[in-house]
Amino acid sequence: MGPLSRDAWAQRLGAFRASPSAFMAGPEGEDLGRNLLGDLRSEKLSEQTKVSLLALSLEYPAQLWPDVSAAEVAATSLLDTLVLLPPRPSALRRPLLLAATTALAAGGALGPTSGASCRLLPLLLGLASGSDLGRGFVPASEQRPLQATACECLRELESCKPGLLGGSLGLLRGLLGQEGPVQPLSLLLALVLRNTLVLQSRVGAGLGGLLTDKVSPTGGGPWDWTLVEKGDGSLQPQAPSWPAAEEGEGERSLTAREHSPEEARELRAAVIQLLETSYLLTPVAQAQLLWLLGWALRGLQGQPPALFKPQLVRLLGTAQLTLLHAVLALKAAFGEALFTAQDEALLLRRLTLAAQHPALPLPTHLFYLHCLLSFPENWPLGPEGEEAAPLLLGPQLCRGLLPSLLHDPMALLARLHLLCLLCAEDEEEEKGQLPSPRHYLEELLAGLRQRAALDEGPRALATVCFQASYLVTRCLAGQPTVLTPLIHGLAQLYRVRPMLASHFVDFLDQVDSELREPLKVVLRQEVVSRLGRDEALCWHLKMLAKVADGDAQSATLNFLQAAAAHCTNWDLQQGLLRVCRALLRAGVRGGLVDLLQVLARQLEDPDGRDHARLYYILLAHLAGPKLGVALGPSLAPPALASSLVAENQGFVAALMVQEAPALVRLSVGSHGVKGPLPVLKLQPEALEPIYSLELRFRVEGQLYAPLEAVHVPCLCPGRPARPLLLPLQPRCPAPARLDVHALYTTSTGLTCHAHLPPLFVNFADLFLPFPQPPGGAGLGFFEELWDSCLPEGAESRVWCPLGPQGLEGLVSQHLEPFVVVAQPPTSYYVAIHLPPNSKLLLRLEAALPDGVPVALRTDDWAVLPLAGDYLRGLAAAL
Amino acid sequence: MAQRAVWLISHEPGTPLCGTVRFSRRYPTVEKRARVFNGASYVPIPEDGPFLKALLFELRLLDDDKDFVESRDSCSRINKTSIYGLLIGGEELWPVVAFLKNDIIYACVPLVEQTLSPRPPLISVSGVSQGFEFLFGIQDFLYSGQKNDSELNTKLSQLPDLLLQACPFGTLLDANLQNSLDNTNFASVTQPQKQPAWKTGTYKGKPQVSISITEKVKSMQYDKQGVADTWQVVGTVTCKCDLEGIMPNVTISLNLPTNGSPLQDILVHPCVTSLDSAILTSSSIDAMDDSAFSGPYKFPFTPPLELFNLCYYTSQVPVPPILGFYQMKEEEVQLRITINLKLHESVKNNFEFCEAHIPFYNRGPITHLEYKTSFGQLEVFREKSLLIWIIGQKFPKSMEISLSGTVTFGAKSHEKQPFDPICIGETAYLKLHFRILDYTLTGCYADQHSVQVFASGKPKISAYRKLISSDYYIWNSKAPAPVTYGSLLL
Repeated sequence: MGPLSRDAWAQRLGAFRASPSAFMAGPEGEDLGRNLLGDLRSEKLSEQTKVSLLALSLEYPAQLWPDVSAAEVAATSLLDTLVLLPPRPSALRRPLLLAATTALAAGGALGPTSGASCRLLPLLLGLASGSDLGRGFVPASEQRPLQATACECLRELESCKPGLLGGSLGLLRGLLGQEGPVQPLSLLLALVLRNTLVLQSRVGAGLGGLLTDKVSPTGGGPWDWTLVEKGDGSLQPQAPSWPAAEEGEGERSLTAREHSPEEARELRAAVIQLLETSYLLTPVAQAQLLWLLGWALRGLQGQPPALFKPQLVRLLGTAQLTLLHAVLALKAAFGEALFTAQDEALLLRRLTLAAQHPALPLPTHLFYLHCLLSFPENWPLGPEGEEAAPLLLGPQLCRGLLPSLLHDPMALLARLHLLCLLCAEDEEEEKGQLPSPRHYLEELLAGLRQRAALDEGPRALATVCFQASYLVTRCLAGQPTVLTPLIHGLAQLYRVRPMLASHFVDFLDQVDSELREPLKVVLRQEVVSRLGRDEALCWHLKMLAKVADGDAQSATLNFLQAAAAHCTNWDLQQGLLRVCRALLRAGVRGGLVDLLQVLARQLEDPDGRDHARLYYILLAHLAGPKLGVALGPSLAPPALASSLVAENQGFVAALMVQEAPALVRLSVGSHGVKGPLPVLKLQPEALEPIYSLELRFRVEGQLYAPLEAVHVPCLCPGRPARPLLLPLQPRCPAPARLDVHALYTTSTGLTCHAHLPPLFVNFADLFLPFPQPPGGAGLGFFEELWDSCLPEGAESRVWCPLGPQGLEGLVSQHLEPFVVVAQPPTSYYVAIHLPPNSKLLLRLEAALPDGVPVALRTDDWAVLPLAGDYLRGLAAAL
Repeated sequence: MAQRAVWLISHEPGTPLCGTVRFSRRYPTVEKRARVFNGASYVPIPEDGPFLKALLFELRLLDDDKDFVESRDSCSRINKTSIYGLLIGGEELWPVVAFLKNDIIYACVPLVEQTLSPRPPLISVSGVSQGFEFLFGIQDFLYSGQKNDSELNTKLSQLPDLLLQACPFGTLLDANLQNSLDNTNFASVTQPQKQPAWKTGTYKGKPQVSISITEKVKSMQYDKQGVADTWQVVGTVTCKCDLEGIMPNVTISLNLPTNGSPLQDILVHPCVTSLDSAILTSSSIDAMDDSAFSGPYKFPFTPPLELFNLCYYTSQVPVPPILGFYQMKEEEVQLRITINLKLHESVKNNFEFCEAHIPFYNRGPITHLEYKTSFGQLEVFREKSLLIWIIGQKFPKSMEISLSGTVTFGAKSHEKQPFDPICIGETAYLKLHFRILDYTLTGCYADQHSVQVFASGKPKISAYRKLISSDYYIWNSKAPAPVTYGSLLL
């Protein structure tokens, strides 16, 4: 296939990007990677199209080249393409370098044995050091950008294989001092330095001459797989999150070897060199440099953190998020060694003003607020990992950071958190303060509730109100001066806008009992004080199901009685019954009995009536604690209570049964033909011990009379169980599918309901013999039956294929009980009674080696196709 | 310290998906590291479709917020930063840095170089601030000088190439994407050695320095006992330095007249090389006293090529430029309003424009209006339930103007009249919009003679000033109004 056109590729790339997985699963997926590599060399495609192909390979190498060998092949091909480029400026060199690096690093092919790696690394290092690669490989105009790109590629390889470039530290340092592009070289050098320090200290080695030697002293060349191996090939966090970094600290100090004075001096010189030119870097790159060097030097002897000091004042003045963040990282790394108490205070003040500066965007404000509450203090007091206001951040500093209703929801919540922390701290001192933060908090919450109460307001307003309330209860638990007005305010909110019931239920679920219990009481009062028709009845019932308990029974019951008259649809009735259930669980008995009786009679919906009756029965028959357990959501109720429950089948089926995967397997055994009805023999098998097993069968299509449930007291795995006999009462002689449900109690006392795979009743399972005529009268009996079939019935001839065992074998295996007249091995007359009242008569005579013609008659037309299928299937069943 | 992926999504309410992924870029080498670092808690970057859906849901930008959804609306799911966890295929992708601006959602996923369970504190994840800077950089690029959709589309189509420069492997090299664009356009052959990475070339031409100071004044006025009115000036100093040489040095001084208000909360551009400690510590957090540093504020720097914000500041001037009161009362079927505005005598009475917008939220269209004004004209936007009082270029000699009248409203129809969660009942505000050229409220100015330039040739120096209103609210004093904590500190 020739190369695709530009448009075809554009279309293909578009389809791929829309859903890479769908594209790769499609017909074009398999060849995409190969075609892409091939077309990169096509002369028909423009550079722009090729750049877009390379862009794809930069993003999806794992899809294009899914395994190591494919990645290696791809990288080799990309390098070949690069080498073959004509010696004139081209937009492809940079992306080709990036793509080859990506293919190797992402595909896991990077390693000492990879040919592509061994080609790429010297190429990159040559480009990075600006050396002449000959043959006009790099046009002069591209030299500078390619040098930078090569550094970026090397940095990415070093990131994926820490230690790889440990041998080129001296080389890189030299380049930085001479003429190389400052930013890419600085970042590369800093990363390699950091990785080498970590890896060498792991094995108790120092830097040796690595920083000064232009040629690797380990002899491994500028790239150094031995150092990579020292790190077990494991990745090094370049900017470790600080609690994690601190944990690793102990380990490091144990193995760390002190650097010789000379090593320390060189290291310091290298760091100073990097820091002094750091202002030439873009702000984001400066930040990276600081993170890298800060954590690399932390705790190293002979490397005073004061090295960073000259940079700090400059950085503290900026509004740049990454720079201030990097300063915080330095603060976390060095603490008091770099930041005196005064410095710490200054940093906090800068952070505080940045968190509210009108010139900065909201996401920046929010991040700074987070930084304030997680501020790495020199001497932290509170528990680690919890957000808290730093000690030096007093109320005065916080003034501008407090929330108001005009704030965006996230800003409001973030600032509210700070306000709560202030309220929690100043419990004692605040009396003199005006206005008191606590009073302000109350006003704010009231304002939020007012907004949430707006009729047309979007749900987000309500959500913020409840989130704020939750935050307050979390931060100020145990402070009744805050919680009491909160509770009453929420009750009032419910009064105005009951449709927020879902939010209230969620809120009650989330908060501690300290708030939950009193809030439940007032909410219950809110609900039950409304009698009669109310448009919000469904919300009231939802609310009441959550808050109803043993208290204030009569008011609750009065409300329910009044409400029952208005519960005209299924939803409302279910809501009403949920409240009844909650009351049942809470142990309410007295008035509830009457209510349930009324409901069982009056509710319009039969399902509702059934439920009411059930609850009534439960209430009447179970003692309080058992009732609670039976209705409770607990998954491990006491065995006693649940076995009682299990015996109450009606209740079990309707109410408290847990849906569970089937712990029982049923198989249909050989069928017996005794008795007046066909009987299905079932072999149960349990996967776990189960008790009080009830198996329920439903016949699809009502072909048979409803089946009795089968009961098994106990079933244990490994212990053979007696087969279960399931008598069938067909309404017509046809095979059927049985839907099977199992109800059982587990050994933990849980009553479970499971849907088992359906059972199939075959046509032959319905066969019954006719009563045997007295000896010798068989032929006459058969002829009589044969004649009686016509004219109402039907007659047919069927070819029944025979297996190797011949006619005799076939009959003895399948038809033995029904044979009326037999002249083995040539002729058999078979009469089958098909309940309820059909017959099937077969004459099997004059068998040939491969089959026997069967003449059949039946008095029931419908049986004919079934019988035909049956006979034709017999040979196959052997 | 890298990004795993970045997305730009346009928010399109009313369409089936409510949004479209306009741009996305994944970084597979970073992703490979994420898999190793995150270990068992690793959640892969999803394809665009599922990501779009999950992000819009989390940001509440899907059209369906009718029903309570626990995973979004539960009171315990509190987000206090623009960093989210997205539920995708039963797993939570975290941290996702995302924000909405001008109907575009900017999103990226920074690499976390450790396990995610338990989650490390955000402050300790270096990729978070880098992610923000990345997204801000894209936002600046898309919206700098962009006027319409086709320009936006052009800029979006440039992004893949730009990121190849600015962020080839997921580690951001330069948040200023314009730099990368210039870099691709003019790759200079003989770049000298110590070229700053944030300066892509050198300027050739007539040297000139232009400095412009823009002050925005905001205010909340209540005219109420126990609630203090507040106002604040926010200044931005923008520079464009066209100077030859690789690293020309410039020092700009901002000066105040003798009675000027001190500048505070000064934030500077990273190109500023050093800062006086008085500038660093002058802050609005402290109580003001006479000893406050009042300049001159010197900023030595090496300018980048492009227009840039040299510094931002705030200031607390002694009085608001326009003091007003607004009274609104509901009288049976109509509202009675009275408005009084007074320009302070010290303020330059020469506006480019000055208007008072008087919106009526949560009401129907205006059906009837009777009014009397001492000055200016009134425009009525009946369907929007809005009055605009056009005051014009000058206040009268008395410096005081008034408007009074009654407004009647028709029945509400939800589509047209604006909803506002704050202006309920009689809670209402009017908002002033004005602009004065060649003037700053603080008095701050850049003295052209004190600008020092260490570069070849004597540059032409020009300086501009202007004052703009921003969030200048006057609340109805006859009803409750939202206050800030600061307003309660009398």
